[in-house]
Amino acid sequence: MSEVIRLEKLTKTYGRRRGLAGLDLTVGEGEVFGYLGPNGAGKSTTIRLLLDLIRPTDGRALLFGTDCRRAVAHLRRRIGYLPGDFTVAPRQRVEQCLDHLAALRGGVPRARIDALAGRLDLDLGARIGALSKGNRQKVGLVQAFMHRPDLLILDEPTSGLDPLVQQTFLDLVREAKLAGQTVFMSSHVLTEVEAVADRVGMIREGRLVALDTVAQLRDRAAHDVEITFVGPADQAGLAALPEVSDLVVDGQTARLRLSGSPDALIRLLAGHRLARLRVTEPDLEHLFLAHYRTDDTVEASRA
Amino acid sequence: MPEVMTRTLWEGRRALAGFAAGTALVGALYAGFYPQVADGAMGQAVQGFSPAMREALRMEDLTSAAGYLGSSVFGIIVPLVAVIWGVATGARAIAGEEEAGHLDLLLAHPVSRTRVVLDRFAALTAGAALIAAAVWVAMLAVRPGADLGDVGVVEFAAQCLALALLVVVFGTLTLAIGAATGSRGAALGGGAAAVALTYVIQALAGQLGAGALRHLSPFHHYIGGEPLRHGFQWDGLATLAGTALVLLAVAVLSFDRRDLAT
Repeated sequence: MSEVIRLEKLTKTYGRRRGLAGLDLTVGEGEVFGYLGPNGAGKSTTIRLLLDLIRPTDGRALLFGTDCRRAVAHLRRRIGYLPGDFTVAPRQRVEQCLDHLAALRGGVPRARIDALAGRLDLDLGARIGALSKGNRQKVGLVQAFMHRPDLLILDEPTSGLDPLVQQTFLDLVREAKLAGQTVFMSSHVLTEVEAVADRVGMIREGRLVALDTVAQLRDRAAHDVEITFVGPADQAGLAALPEVSDLVVDGQTARLRLSGSPDALIRLLAGHRLARLRVTEPDLEHLFLAHYRTDDTVEASRA
Repeated sequence: MPEVMTRTLWEGRRALAGFAAGTALVGALYAGFYPQVADGAMGQAVQGFSPAMREALRMEDLTSAAGYLGSSVFGIIVPLVAVIWGVATGARAIAGEEEAGHLDLLLAHPVSRTRVVLDRFAALTAGAALIAAAVWVAMLAVRPGADLGDVGVVEFAAQCLALALLVVVFGTLTLAIGAATGSRGAALGGGAAAVALTYVIQALAGQLGAGALRHLSPFHHYIGGEPLRHGFQWDGLATLAGTALVLLAVAVLSFDRRDLAT
């Protein structure tokens, strides 16, 4: 798998403020990468460095193996970009705006624009200025996807979209992945990207504090289980299971955390009469952070 | 035509049409007063002015058509209105668009920063040419009725070409300040200050005994050689064009070097 994005000790300082501190990261061809972090962590800074809108203080960023400061126009031909704050002149119609952006790329088939607009339920005849934030974001999505770029760089793509359109967006990302396109998308919430991302990286204060595949995160993910017995809870039996931790028994109700296979627990419970069983997947975000908190502190104490 | 240039012209079409029509109209209106001043009434009125004052206002000769047009119409009103368009357009070209947040998206397309500056400059030049052409047509329209036959079609063309280049110079200066700083305010302020300062230099350098200073003013190269009397003044036109190109180079280089503002 060849590298589409490669960041090498990428550093950006704004005056005395640190934007990015020596970021190393690679994203392979055909990968969907979720780039997470709280607002102001450096997500947009990374993206704007990739597009050569700002220049690194140190280190470098490569796209398709080429330094993104070189052959800029050629590289951008292969990229679709959705800015974090998608703003275009308000007086034009959606159609004019998209035609102009398509012309900058040497044209895009009309049917492609119509199809995308149709799927996102975007009115091509509306004035940009009259659109809601969510509908304006759809214009941004159409222009990013319409020319089927090799690399999609999406800064907070789902912001302002209602849940239904978010699903359509996730479909578009899945289709892009199937077509071999690479997707680099930022978000401040993990749940937005976990459905489609192969890997996720988390950035905080300009440093990459976590990097893992979603599959591994899932495997590690423990479940919170709440069992209400008919009769007293089998505290001893539950406590004896190696997969169970954080066991709290309150009369007939037991709450516990289950990591790994549920098999042994199910077998134990089969010997009892239950009134209720509830299993919830804990917030991946907390898990993610909990897992990396130690590394983070090491990193911080070293700095 | 390049997409960015045509798009820039299209987005600025209303302002451009307004300024072209306005400049031509105000020029034609003032030119139309010539028969009233040709009898010397106005000339007598300004006899009371000191010679220095008359020189500053280019009013040494108000009785000839070329003299009158060179002092009032092309001396102050038309160039100032046209230059306002140039400065506003130059400020919008880079810094204005940047502050509006439009440049991030544009520059994520296969368009280099240099291309954007060059296309915006080309749109500025095309707009200036249109305004100058509108003034030229207006002058030719009022010429027979307003007794301005002494000034030939070619002489009007020469003055209008100088007008276009004057607009391009101040527009490009403003564009360059915006390209270097990213601040629309700085560009507008710098451009407007340069217009005022160089206008005063052109008008007063003679009385201050510093005639050579005049050569620093684009207004001098625009009208100092009296194109309405002598036709195309190639050295003046070349100076204006050269100045614009140097400013364009500064704009390209400085814009390519810096970070874009969010």
